[in-house]
Amino acid sequence: MIAVPRRARTANPLPQLGRIATIVYVLFIGLPLVALIARALGSAGFLQGLTSEMALQALRLSAVTGVISLVFIVVVGTPFAYQLARGRSRVYQVLDSLVELPIVLPPVVVGVALLMAFGRRGLLGPGLEVLGITLPFTSAAVVLAQVAVAGPFYIRAAKLGFQGVPTDLEDISQTLGVSPWRTFWRVTVPMAWPALVGGTALALARALSEFGATIMFAGNFQGRTQTMPLAIMSAMEVNLSSALALSILLLTVSLVILGALGLVARAQGSRR
Amino acid sequence: MTLRARIQLQLGAFQLDAELEASPGSVLVLFGPSGSGKTTMLRSIAGLVPPQQGHVEVGGRVLCDTSAGAWVPPHERRIGYLPQEYSLFPHLDVAANVGYGLSTLPKAAQEVRVRELLHTFQIEDLKAHPTHTLSGGQRQRVALARALAPRPDVLLLDEPFSALDLELRRAARTEIRRILKATSIPVVLVTHDREEALALGDAVLVMDQGKRIAQGEPLQVLGHPAQARVARLVGVENLLRMRVAQADTRTGVMLCEQGSVRLEVPLVDARVGEDITIGIRADDIILASSDPSGLSARNRLPGKVAEVAPRGAGYDVLLDCGVPLRCHVTQRAVEELGIRPGASLWAVVKASSCFVVEGS
Repeated sequence: MIAVPRRARTANPLPQLGRIATIVYVLFIGLPLVALIARALGSAGFLQGLTSEMALQALRLSAVTGVISLVFIVVVGTPFAYQLARGRSRVYQVLDSLVELPIVLPPVVVGVALLMAFGRRGLLGPGLEVLGITLPFTSAAVVLAQVAVAGPFYIRAAKLGFQGVPTDLEDISQTLGVSPWRTFWRVTVPMAWPALVGGTALALARALSEFGATIMFAGNFQGRTQTMPLAIMSAMEVNLSSALALSILLLTVSLVILGALGLVARAQGSRR
Repeated sequence: MTLRARIQLQLGAFQLDAELEASPGSVLVLFGPSGSGKTTMLRSIAGLVPPQQGHVEVGGRVLCDTSAGAWVPPHERRIGYLPQEYSLFPHLDVAANVGYGLSTLPKAAQEVRVRELLHTFQIEDLKAHPTHTLSGGQRQRVALARALAPRPDVLLLDEPFSALDLELRRAARTEIRRILKATSIPVVLVTHDREEALALGDAVLVMDQGKRIAQGEPLQVLGHPAQARVARLVGVENLLRMRVAQADTRTGVMLCEQGSVRLEVPLVDARVGEDITIGIRADDIILASSDPSGLSARNRLPGKVAEVAPRGAGYDVLLDCGVPLRCHVTQRAVEELGIRPGASLWAVVKASSCFVVEGS
């Protein structure tokens, strides 16, 4: 009889377990994607679905609101994130933990909260009505919903990026005759750049996929508040090929964003 | 243009209250242990840490005066600052780092100035290199070139050699000395290394716990510190408590005793019978294997070796002569004299190597 070495029996089971888990997970995520692509490309109405009036309007609305949301997020979010990273007051420590709340909050709840604030019978509703402004169920509401939900992704990334810039470098810049404002642009932003770009991409992806807060606060009106995710849902009921075509489009956009993030990460890696 | 600064500042439990003056073309060394407030003093002069009360002026130009509410922000002070870790900009190459503070000049003038500095600091070959590829010595030169590029009125150096390894330090020191002499601006240099202070300082200011505790010529202050607190800070290895037995005004010496140990030391204003503290640096003691004769040195003390420990390139020997005496000797001396615990040796000390230290 050949004795089995003790080591063989007590060998590390982790790699084997890891390989099995990998196969399970890849199949679980990959299969639906393959099914989606196969079904979409196989269906006769793919191009028609993509060029239908509903799809085109959703595409245009998503692009326009997405870009406006992103501009708003970056313009307001950047100085806010810098203050979160550098501010020493207690207020910023509290805000720091609160700012990520919309990330974990169900988007539907964000939508309800927006209604309660800006809705016709909301907190600011009467005041806005006096000014002749109605927000709910308009394209502006779409933007507000996207900003509320996607903003924290950018702010969090930007804050971490700014925290990674040593204050010593900002100090040195000033002793070299460069004002704090110009130091921000010459030292802080270039050094935090990968984080800023990464955060922007994440926020864009999140804004484009926004659904819950939008349908709650802006509704689902074709051409006005029906963004791509909402259009997919509506299309599922009447025209499957249109839904499939829009899904493929969103999938493509997501892959492009993922690729861009990878490029930024690589550029960051090679610079260190 | 002379730099004058008085800074009062409370940071938690730490209190800084010191003043200094540095004249053009000279190096003032701020000497003291870590945590004594040297760096805070520099940062405060540069305007990076506002003092609660203080006054800073360079050549009559007031940069900070808390009583008059005057405050010039760091970027308008024209004070060059070299922090301990050099803080090179990692997103810029060497030439861009050196030229960073020149953005107000026209492009062509910037290029001329950068080329000039790269040449002075012998880093022309590195100009397109990213900073993370540089060695410690190269980083130091780039940082110094960057600080000097905008032609500051004052230069502040915070432990400029601490990031370098031992061998490099001496070479870098000589080079920096040459460059600082050529700039003819006031330089304030922070260090806790005695050798560095002696090599670079025209004047030294000793700080401890946020206060100035001594000031003067480096050799005097660091070689023969007059206060026990300073002596301990600068590392005088032997502080002996002795009683004055005789004071001879004619020859200018005093005889001091403790038990059977007698030492001849330079005369100071002390009465016979008074207890005083005498400092002797370990480097100033000579060891002999037998009682030496025909020497000009006035003090010869017999003793037994209590301890031999390696120290840097040489050895640290503790000799029990009735009082413990710490001496520094080379490896060769240890071998040739057969220095080992229990060995009998003579310690030889010149009277002028003994100095009286105030306080205990």
